[in-house]
Amino acid sequence: MSERSGDDGSGRALTPLSQNVAAGLGLVLLGLFGVWASADLPRGTLGAMGPGMLPHWVAIGVAACGAVLAATGLVRGGAGLQAVGLRGPVVVVLAILAFAATIRPTALGPVTTPGLGLMVAGPLTVILAGYASPEARFRELLILALLLTAGCMLLFGDLLNLPIPLFPTALVEAASGRIPSRVLLRLAAGALALTGLGLLLLQRRSARRGGTDVARHSMTA
Amino acid sequence: MPDLLSHLGLGFAVALSLQNLLLCFLGCLVGTLIGVLPGVGPIATIAMLLPITFGLDPVGALIMLAGIYYGAQYGGSTTAILVNIPGEATSVVTTLDGHQMARQGRAGIALGTAAIASFFAGTVATLLIAALGAPLTRLALIFGPAEYFALMVMGLAFAVVLAHGSVLKAVAMILVGILFACIGTDLETGEERMTFGLTFLTDGIDFSVLAMGLFGVAEILRNLDQTETRDIARARIGRLLPSLADLRQAMPATLRGTAIGASLGILPGNGAVLGPFAAYTVEKRIARDPGRFGRGAIEGVAGPESANNAGAQTAFIPLLTLGIPPNAVMALMVGAMTIHGIVPGPGVMTKNPNLFWGMIASMWIGNLMLLVINLPLVGIWVRLLKVPYRLMFPAILMFCSIGIYSISSLPTDVMLIAAFGVFGYALIKFGFEPAPLLLGFVLGKLMEEYLRRALTLSRGDAMVFLERPVSAVLFLVAFTILALALLPSLRRSRDEVFTEA
Repeated sequence: MSERSGDDGSGRALTPLSQNVAAGLGLVLLGLFGVWASADLPRGTLGAMGPGMLPHWVAIGVAACGAVLAATGLVRGGAGLQAVGLRGPVVVVLAILAFAATIRPTALGPVTTPGLGLMVAGPLTVILAGYASPEARFRELLILALLLTAGCMLLFGDLLNLPIPLFPTALVEAASGRIPSRVLLRLAAGALALTGLGLLLLQRRSARRGGTDVARHSMTA
Repeated sequence: MPDLLSHLGLGFAVALSLQNLLLCFLGCLVGTLIGVLPGVGPIATIAMLLPITFGLDPVGALIMLAGIYYGAQYGGSTTAILVNIPGEATSVVTTLDGHQMARQGRAGIALGTAAIASFFAGTVATLLIAALGAPLTRLALIFGPAEYFALMVMGLAFAVVLAHGSVLKAVAMILVGILFACIGTDLETGEERMTFGLTFLTDGIDFSVLAMGLFGVAEILRNLDQTETRDIARARIGRLLPSLADLRQAMPATLRGTAIGASLGILPGNGAVLGPFAAYTVEKRIARDPGRFGRGAIEGVAGPESANNAGAQTAFIPLLTLGIPPNAVMALMVGAMTIHGIVPGPGVMTKNPNLFWGMIASMWIGNLMLLVINLPLVGIWVRLLKVPYRLMFPAILMFCSIGIYSISSLPTDVMLIAAFGVFGYALIKFGFEPAPLLLGFVLGKLMEEYLRRALTLSRGDAMVFLERPVSAVLFLVAFTILALALLPSLRRSRDEVFTEA
C-alpha cells in the first residue's frame, strides 16, 4: 500500500543520469544474474518443462524490460535520481541484524552468537532502531524499549505461547529447576515494566516537549 | 434464494459464537488502529500477526485477519479527513473533500458520512459475495489448468494496468516477482533452483518475509527520509450524524460508489485500489457543479468511501471461489489458509462451509462493529495520531522481527526482511511500485504449476491456450487491456484518474 514517492518533490536530481536509465540498467543486471543462476538447470521441453524453463525465460523478460526502460530513458530523459538518506537504511538494517543475531544462539561460520532471548534482543532492537531518526532521544527510547519488551514477553510468551526464546540461555540454565519458567517470565516482564514506568514518571516531571511529528506524506498540503 | 438464506444462517451461527465475535472485534479494532496510523499498512500488520493465529482455529483466524483488512479501510478515512493524510493508500481521494469539510467545521459530518457510506457498501458487498459465491464456485469447477493459467495472466494484466505509473515498470516488477518465486526447491522435479547451496533458501522465500520487507521495512525507510510536523485538526469534530439534507445529497453518490467499487473489487489484479479514484472521477463528472469538488462536497466523501469499502470486500470473491488472490493482502490470506491446511479455491465452499459462510457473515457483523468503533470512539483515534513517528517505527520494527522469527524460528528470516527492506526502498527510489512484485511472487508458483500441467496435457502444444474457448477469451481480454493501456490517448486518461487526487 505504498504511495509512489517519485513525485513528492522531495527528491533532488543528483546526477544527469535519469531515474529510468539507472532503473533499467539495474533490471538488466538482475535479469542477467537470473539467467546465469538458472543456467545449470535443465530446461526440458514444452511438453515436459524442466526446472530451468521458467526462471530462464522470466529472467530474460526482466532483462528485456530493463533494456527497453533504459533505452526510453536515454531517449526521453525523465526524472533524475532521488537523494537517498544513508542513516535510515544503515541503522534500521543494523537494528534488524542485531535482533537476528541475539535472539538465539546462531552459528555464523566459526563464531556463534550469544543467545540472549527477547529480553535483551527486544530493547536492543528498539533503541538501535530509534537512532535511524535524527530526532532520537535516548531516555525516551529506553522507556519505549522496556515497556514494549515487557508487553511483548507477556503477549507472545505468556499468552500466546509462541516458540520464541525469552531469556539469555545462561539465565535459563541457571534458573532451570529452581523457578518455574512461567513465574520467571512474569517476574522479568514485571521488572522491565516497572523500570520503564519509573523512568517515564521521572521524565514526566521534567519539561514536556511540544509539537508532534509523523511521517510526511505526499498528500500533505 | 432459500439456499442463500440457509447458507447465511449457517454463516451467522458460526460468526456469532462468542470466540469468533471477539476475534472479529479484535480484528476490526487492530484494523482501525493501523488504518488510522499512517505508515503502518494492513500487509505488514497481517504478516506480523500471522504467527499469532497459529493457535486459533482456522475460522476464527481468518475472521480476525479479514477484520484487520477491512477495518484498515475504515480507519484510513479518519486520518484522511482529520489530518489530510491518507492513513491508507486507498483513502487518498478522501483527503480532497473530507479534509475541506473538516476545515469548514463539518469534520463530524464527514466522518459520519464516510462511516455510513462504508457500512452501506460493506453490507451490499457482503450480500454480493454470498450471492456470487455459489455460481462462481461452480464455474471454477469446470476450469482446467489452461483456464487457470489464462485467468492468472489476465489478473496480472489487470494489475499492470491498475498500477500507478509506467506500464513497463509494472510488467518488470511482476516478472521480478515471478523470478523470486522460482527460488527454492522445484515442486515437480525436486531440484534446487537458484539457492546457491544456501540452506535457508531451500524452501524458497517465505511470502510473509518478502511482504514484511517490501511493505513493513521499506515503508519505514521511506518515511524516515522526510520529517514533518503535522497539525492535528484543531477544529471541533462537531456532531457526527449527517442531517437529512446531507444524507439525501450523499445517497446517490454512495449507491454509485458501491456499484463501482464492488465491480472493480472482483477483478483479479487489485481492482479495489482503483475504486475510490474511479468513484471520485465519476462523481465529479456527473455533478451539476463540479466546482464544489475539492471544497468540501459531501459526495466526494461518500462516493470514494463506499467504493473503497465495497472493493475491499468483493476482493475476497476471487480468493474464496477461484483460489486466486487478487492483491497482496489476499495473498497473505492464502498463506493463513495454507497454514491451517485449507486449500483456497472452489473446494473451500463445499469442504469448509463453516469457514466460507462464517467469514462472509462475520464481514457484515464486522462492518456493524466498525460503525461503533469508529464513530463514538473517534476521539481516541485522534489522540493516537499524536504518537510521534520516531517512537512508532522502532516498535513496528520490533513487532516485525518477533513476528517473522516466530513463523519458523529462523534468524535468517529476520535478516532477509532487512535485505528485502533495502531492496524495496531502492525500488521506491527508482520509481517502482512494490505491489505488483508481490502479486507476481504469489501467482508465480501457481502459474508455473498450471502452465506445466496444461502443457503436459497437451503434449507440449502451446496452442492449447487458444483452442480452449474460455482460456482464449481470457487471454484476449488480457492482451486487449494491455494494448489499450499502451495507447497514448487512453494512457492519458488513466494517468488522469490517478493524478486526479
